[in-house]
Amino acid sequence: MIKSVEEYLDLLKVELKESDSATVQDALADAEEHLRAAMVSLREKQPQASEQEALTLVIEQYGSPEETASAYKEVERRTVPSLARTAPARQDSALKRFLGVYDDPKAWGALLYMLISLVTGIVYFTWVVTGLSLSISFAIFIFGLLFAVFFAVSLRGLALLEGRIVEGLLGVRMPRRPLFIQKDVTWFERLKSNLVDKHLWLSLVYFFLQMPLGVIYFSLVVTLFTLSLGLMAAPLVQTITDFPMLSIGVMKYHLPVWSTPIFLFVGFMIWTVAMHLSRAIGQWHGRYAKAFLVTE
Amino acid sequence: MVDSPGLTKKFQKELNAGIASLVLLSVLDQSREPMYGYQIARLLEEYSGDASFMKQGALYPVLHSLESSGLLESKVEPSVSGPPRRYYEITAEGREMLVTWQGVWTQMKSFVDRAIKGG
Repeated sequence: MIKSVEEYLDLLKVELKESDSATVQDALADAEEHLRAAMVSLREKQPQASEQEALTLVIEQYGSPEETASAYKEVERRTVPSLARTAPARQDSALKRFLGVYDDPKAWGALLYMLISLVTGIVYFTWVVTGLSLSISFAIFIFGLLFAVFFAVSLRGLALLEGRIVEGLLGVRMPRRPLFIQKDVTWFERLKSNLVDKHLWLSLVYFFLQMPLGVIYFSLVVTLFTLSLGLMAAPLVQTITDFPMLSIGVMKYHLPVWSTPIFLFVGFMIWTVAMHLSRAIGQWHGRYAKAFLVTE
Repeated sequence: MVDSPGLTKKFQKELNAGIASLVLLSVLDQSREPMYGYQIARLLEEYSGDASFMKQGALYPVLHSLESSGLLESKVEPSVSGPPRRYYEITAEGREMLVTWQGVWTQMKSFVDRAIKGG
């Protein structure tokens, strides 16, 4: 006999222990939202029913933790995140796999992610540093408590936003909604529960590191792709303008015509390798973001 | 000895797998406003009368899967009592898909009816 909504959620969590952590988070949030809404509505209709009777009836309609878990597992098997695709089949030739990166939305998504991570990294970093230093310095005032709670909540919001970006661009399944925030608790208790939450601190670290990482990602992408484009464009530019490849004093050096294919080939290879590198970094970053931002 | 309740339950579950998506899309298509999970569950309870076709908890994963396919969209809004609620709304793609699925369902229904009646 399940005695409280919390107990139901704990049992559901146990049933889903082998599922994707984002699915678990969705399932817990759905169950909590539904069970609490159903309890309120049932108590209005049947005020004489005891808490336990109401809960038993509500769970009877919603399904046991086992039934609910199996419904999520069933759908999880059929659902794939936005960009998740099956990996290229093993029998493909090495060349096909090497060039196949251009047809992989994950590689393009990762490329875009690395470009925008400079901007998001700066925003996160500024927010975290400002919020953290203000929270600490306001701690001597009474309203400092309110501010700290506001900052903690804003971090959860940011984590959710970053989760959406990571899922959309890197194809790693992330939670679709924030975990339930308990009502009817004092501000102090709320702050305390936030302070002991491991994921709040991990997301703080994540946002802090996002700026240096963003700078590295951005520079890497810009350097590799401009190098590649430059190499490919050099022979072409030379034929339409009189601009030399190299000029020392009055001496101007032009590329010999036979080197054009070599430049095109090297430029193209650098671009392709950079696409592979972006995809690898994107996958690594997706796993890292999931470990730091998703509350189990 | 045939485990008749068990087999019936299994049969029901297999039937529900596709129907749930059609039912949820239809309900959200008819609704003028976005609806949250419990609201949808209550409405379906009304439609099903005394018979219970599926557990309410099984609706939510289907809603998520319809959302990730782009047929629904959702937003979370705070509620007066209790946890924030996720409101679902049908998208233009969802409406198009629903028309196709309704066609499939009508054909399927007449096929099954004929098969059961035997011609």
